[in-house]
Amino acid sequence: MTDPTQAERLVQSIIADFPDNDPKKRPIHTIGIGVKGTFEPSEVAPDYCIAEHFQPRPKDDPVKVTVRFSNGSGSPKQHDGWNDVRGMATRFHLANDGATDLIAMTLGGFFVRSVDEFFDFTNSAHQTPVKPESALCKIIDALSLKVPLPDPPPGQTQSGNAGTLDYANKHRFAQLAIFQAGIIGAPVSYVRAVYHAVHTFFVVGPDGLRRPVRFSWKPVAGVQTTDPTKAPVDDYLQGELRKRLEKWPARMMLMMMIGEAGDVLEDPTVPWPAHRVRVVMGTLSLEEVAADQVADGEKLSFNPWRLVRGIEPSSDPLLKARRDAYEVSRTRRGVTQCPFLPE
Amino acid sequence: MSRNGTSGGTSSATSDKSLRDRFVAWLKMFFAAKILVPFWALLTPVKKLEGGPRPSVQPGDNVQRMMNLIMPLKDKSAIGRAKAALAIAQNKDEIYAGLDNVGTVHFARFVIVDDNICMFSVYDGDFTNYIRDFIVTIGSVFDAVVELVEGGEKVIPSAENVEKFIDWVHDHDAYQVSDVATDILRDQEQANGDAGPGGNDDLRLLPRSLILQLNVNTNVSLGSGYRAYPGYSAAQVRQQFGVGW
Repeated sequence: MTDPTQAERLVQSIIADFPDNDPKKRPIHTIGIGVKGTFEPSEVAPDYCIAEHFQPRPKDDPVKVTVRFSNGSGSPKQHDGWNDVRGMATRFHLANDGATDLIAMTLGGFFVRSVDEFFDFTNSAHQTPVKPESALCKIIDALSLKVPLPDPPPGQTQSGNAGTLDYANKHRFAQLAIFQAGIIGAPVSYVRAVYHAVHTFFVVGPDGLRRPVRFSWKPVAGVQTTDPTKAPVDDYLQGELRKRLEKWPARMMLMMMIGEAGDVLEDPTVPWPAHRVRVVMGTLSLEEVAADQVADGEKLSFNPWRLVRGIEPSSDPLLKARRDAYEVSRTRRGVTQCPFLPE
Repeated sequence: MSRNGTSGGTSSATSDKSLRDRFVAWLKMFFAAKILVPFWALLTPVKKLEGGPRPSVQPGDNVQRMMNLIMPLKDKSAIGRAKAALAIAQNKDEIYAGLDNVGTVHFARFVIVDDNICMFSVYDGDFTNYIRDFIVTIGSVFDAVVELVEGGEKVIPSAENVEKFIDWVHDHDAYQVSDVATDILRDQEQANGDAGPGGNDDLRLLPRSLILQLNVNTNVSLGSGYRAYPGYSAAQVRQQFGVGW
């Protein structure tokens, strides 16, 4: 278990960046939408993992899921078109009121490797007033063959970008995630982005073999972001999803990359090589936007440690810290706890 | 009449604007390519990064590796290109015999791009052993091709110049730009002997690093190779299909 005071401080350090955050709402990924659907495991999934949702089931009795898509910001103001990380938290509803969660985001890795580094990062990346770069600075950037600083979207007066960049310049391990976050853009739809679970987990096969894995969701509709040269639109993602699902379910493939001996297991800043074996574990069909957005979205409490027999967490210190930070967030919002597997 | 006149005026204005835009775009490109890049290349020179695959540490790094040889032809005419095409066509049997015997190649392609004969292949195992195996099995094909390439006469016959030939091939193997954006910085730091944790970097200079590397390394492979069945060797794939090896 991690230190509960530390978990409190983690949540506080996140909230500090969003002074307008509502204590009854999530400290980050505040704006979101709950969706209902089903999950069908692939034919090969049971060969790799004994978890209940990866076992064969009758076609007419698939695993039911609830997914919450979200924007990364902790502000209650909706800015769908801003450059921002998006979240996809999935709850697989299992037998006897059991459940397991898979929490993923559009960024392929984290900025930091430990809780202490996280505090350093949030200290560095605090919000400061932001304004467009001057024409002279833009010219100097161009002459220096530098990435120009993006103009803040209309209405944005504060940003953590300057501190974030400063942190990256001082810490090479953070550079990949910070560079990617800077160019991540905005998806045209919540179901047209790839979502990475980032941390390493272990899956246990029917033969007892434990494999280190990393999960990601791949959209069947393909990946597409909005045109960054056009003015960002503040409110379109939820409406787009409603319209899309009224016509046809949206599908996402659950891919599992298998790590090899020597791959980094406890450091979510380091991507695994793209040429690791990847296995199709199943297909998610998103069928309708939940009618009750409070019960099936805002009041749901996800946790990356809500696991079932057959899936185990790695020793990644940030994964450990997230368990308790999510609990602090849940308590703060007054949301009902769901049981964890005994440690 | 007025419609035609209006249309003509708009067309002329559009044409002027288009001409001006094209001129401005050309000017920018000229300034960047002929002044900015040479200026920064002089002020902050970079080392040409080595071609070929990264060191293989784990089993998955050792399968489906890429080789991208780009070899400038001596004879830069249609006749020179035809000679290269003929060298491949005349050796079809030797190439298939080599593929079947070596057993580590997923595919190999010969391509003529402008005045270069290129060999692109995906293979399993160590690069040196891969070339060594091919020298043994189809050294004559390599010799026929390399003879047509600038500087090739120094390393043939390959069977008598094995180590020189391997080094020569490695020199012509394109640098593989990783699809992990910041790897270009890490590769450059490693080439400069800087493996520190950082502290004084400027992440916004990543484009300049890429541009200056492409300035000294004009032929590169992009991405880490996009594989439909990563992690499996040619032998494993053939075994699964029940076609031998």
